[in-house]
Amino acid sequence: MKAGYIAIIIMILLAPVFAYLAELVGYAEPLENVAEMLNVEEKPIYSGILPDYTVEGVNPYIGTLISGAVGALLTFLLAGGVIKLARKSRK
Amino acid sequence: MHIPDGYLDLHIAVLLYIAAFLALAYSLRKAVIDESMVPKVGIVAAGIFAAQMLNWPIPFGTSAHFVGGALSAIVLKPYLGSIAMASVLLIQALIFGDGGITTLGANIWNMAIVNVFVAYALFKIFKKSIIGAFLAGWLGITAAAVFAGIEIGLSSSFGYSINVTVPVMGIWHAVLGIIEGIITALAYAYIRRGA
Repeated sequence: MKAGYIAIIIMILLAPVFAYLAELVGYAEPLENVAEMLNVEEKPIYSGILPDYTVEGVNPYIGTLISGAVGALLTFLLAGGVIKLARKSRK
Repeated sequence: MHIPDGYLDLHIAVLLYIAAFLALAYSLRKAVIDESMVPKVGIVAAGIFAAQMLNWPIPFGTSAHFVGGALSAIVLKPYLGSIAMASVLLIQALIFGDGGITTLGANIWNMAIVNVFVAYALFKIFKKSIIGAFLAGWLGITAAAVFAGIEIGLSSSFGYSINVTVPVMGIWHAVLGIIEGIITALAYAYIRRGA
């Protein structure tokens, strides 16, 4: 369990480094590449509270770091919370 | 492989919302949940969220990130694995705008249901071996991509038929999926050694 927490913290700390590296080679998701090949455009209707893992007005790399920490914490709480509720409702 | 808004027709998006909801409800009913599972599911979900943030740069202008459906299926068994993956996708869509809102049902169906259950079936067929973990990672993500290809191919808003979208999505992810397979196998080898 402890190894899991440590792994998560290391990955969050590495996120800005990867963001930098991805920018160097011109990051794009495979699905985005496919869409570009086929000339299809996204129609975003909602960009999120922290769009594209950035924080408005904050250096993008620090924004990525904050996004990683916030996202991992919220995901932990949501997944753990759902399981806790499911367990409770069975009792 | 997060499908953004605008790629799917509304009726396909709605259908996949219903399918995803039913599959998740069934998973929650069937899952074996003891006390230790509460933090365990949380840690796996948070770990997959963090791992998905790491975009590994690949030459020729693309990149790949670990999806994690197979690993969550192996570590948590598929019923809880699907809940962990769905949690990741919900936070990504709502907080970070990663994957569309109208397409969230489709993304959950592809990555939290298809990926997780196909991966676990392969893992079991290959007797929970390291090779089984590799195939689970590789073909789980490929199956999810094929489904994504079918969904966008059937949508008139994408403008290309499944004859184009399925091979393109499938082949692309079958190549990138080898990396997913290797990471899944390595992670499984590490976990198995420690257990």
